[in-house]
Amino acid sequence: MPKKILIVDDDPDLVEAVSMILESKNYEVAAAYGGIEGLQKAKTENPDLIVLDVMMPDKDGYAVCKELKADPELRKIPVLLLTAVVSKIATTRYTQAAGLETEADDYIDKPVEPEVLVRRIETLLSK
Amino acid sequence: MERAKILVIDDEQIMRDGCTRILTKNGWEVLTAENGKQGLAHLQSHSGETDVILLDLMMPGMSGMEVLEQIRTNYPDLLVIVITGYATVESAVEAMKKGAYDFIPKPFTPDQLRIVVRRALEKRTLQKEAEFLRRERERSLRDIATEKSKLKTIINCMGDGVLVCDREGCIVLSNPAASRLLKIPEESLIGNYVSQCPLNPELLRTIEESLNVKDRNYISISQELSVGETGETFLRAHTAPVRNDLGETIGSVTVLQDISHLKELDKMKSEFIAMVAHELRAPLAAVEQQLTVILNRMAGEVTEKQEQLLSRAKERTKGLLDLIRDLLDLSKIEAGKMIQYKEPLTLREVIEKVVELMRTEAEQKKVDLQFFPPAQNPIVHADRSGMEGVFTNLISNAIKYTPEGGRVRITLNEEGGFAKVTVSDTGIGIKKEDLQRIFDKFYRVKTPQTRQIVGTGLGLSIVKSIIDAHLGSISVESEEGKGTTFTVLLPKETGTDFHPC
Repeated sequence: MPKKILIVDDDPDLVEAVSMILESKNYEVAAAYGGIEGLQKAKTENPDLIVLDVMMPDKDGYAVCKELKADPELRKIPVLLLTAVVSKIATTRYTQAAGLETEADDYIDKPVEPEVLVRRIETLLSK
Repeated sequence: MERAKILVIDDEQIMRDGCTRILTKNGWEVLTAENGKQGLAHLQSHSGETDVILLDLMMPGMSGMEVLEQIRTNYPDLLVIVITGYATVESAVEAMKKGAYDFIPKPFTPDQLRIVVRRALEKRTLQKEAEFLRRERERSLRDIATEKSKLKTIINCMGDGVLVCDREGCIVLSNPAASRLLKIPEESLIGNYVSQCPLNPELLRTIEESLNVKDRNYISISQELSVGETGETFLRAHTAPVRNDLGETIGSVTVLQDISHLKELDKMKSEFIAMVAHELRAPLAAVEQQLTVILNRMAGEVTEKQEQLLSRAKERTKGLLDLIRDLLDLSKIEAGKMIQYKEPLTLREVIEKVVELMRTEAEQKKVDLQFFPPAQNPIVHADRSGMEGVFTNLISNAIKYTPEGGRVRITLNEEGGFAKVTVSDTGIGIKKEDLQRIFDKFYRVKTPQTRQIVGTGLGLSIVKSIIDAHLGSISVESEEGKGTTFTVLLPKETGTDFHPC
């Protein structure tokens, strides 16, 4: 049975593009277009992994992640943060620090290279 | 000196004429009086003009002794030589007791007279010089006092804060603005040691460093401080050691400026840039993501021509994303958010790591990349990722602008209180007129050789911002066609790695 991945991003074009990458690798994809919808779908869709955007207008990725990790049912689902706040200089500390604070399981910069995204997802799912 | 004036007071015409004749020959000006009364009247109207008085003791009417007493009372500076007639030594002694400078007994030869008068005149000259020097000294003391009070008023009226410490770090001068800006009452500043004042710890560190620094090239340090309970006031502090003529540090001066309003504007600007950058970045990231999907054949087959066009489109979006990322870095540094994790760092390790990361890039370009590790191992107080950023940028630039077969050399040394890193290449070099501007934001040197090199023009200004935030400096030397050397100076961590010279 294919693994199900929930993509949470307020940008529909990005959701579509990431969905196409994941579908081409035979994942089942569910989409949410905001933080609040993301939290709901995390409960109803029962995903194996969540790809979560950071910058969203209604509820940002950090807040969503915090709620997910506080929920005894949902905390087991690995969360891969999609960050746009990248910088060549000082990548390490910044994003690591941000990732640790939010208890996200991994993070990846937007836009993503398909192989990188898939490799990270596979690693998280195999844990 | 002007012509000396001698007043002869004698009742005998022959004496007056004789003296006049003899003394005039020596170039002196001679005035005469027939009796004491006339003599005193002359002095009253020309007191400042007479240098020496020749006074006959034996005169009818007012006696010489009486005249002498009056002269001594009214004109204590004047030198009186008494002429003692056929009289005894006693009257001469009495006159001397009453303050006569000298005496000459009658009869005397012209030479005797000249000798006595010359001696008196020499004494008079010395007296005048002494008087002149005394007045001069009084005036300069007065000038110094005036200057001091003027300076004190200027310092007290200044909007900028001033703190002066002596060699031991005791505050010997501070003005009202310093108390206001630092939010510390004046009585807690003046007369106290800086280490015991509730000073901002970073400022304290800089003041102590400037007092202890041995390096004469060390001139001053500028830093930004935030003060107040919520850090709402931003100050710029310039601290410089004061040296005596032997070059020894005898104290330090700190000037403080309130830059809160500038910081506020700067923050607004940075926030604006960050906001715009994020707004630009999101759609571009989506476009690039879509292009990636198409190019990976995830949305169906792609012809060779389409692939070519889309690849180029992706390159362009990548370039734009790089630019936005640099802008975000810059606004983060300017907002003070980037340099937050200062810790003691071994520069050698940082550089070795960066050099390893850059090795592939250098090998691809066939550029010989080498790091010469130092004998000493300077430790700096710095943000690790900031430092990595600085050296990644400088080394990657050096590789980028060096043609195949060239060399890139990195050295690390200690120089005074600083760790010194140089990055030199045998690349295309930088024109003189461009050198001053390469640290400016968005400045890029455009030549046929650099057209192929991708960049935003923000790299070096980010490097400079990071180095500035560490109180360091960066400079560049270059010769067109020969190569370029960047030199970075960073203050060494004090206390942990001290090598007495």
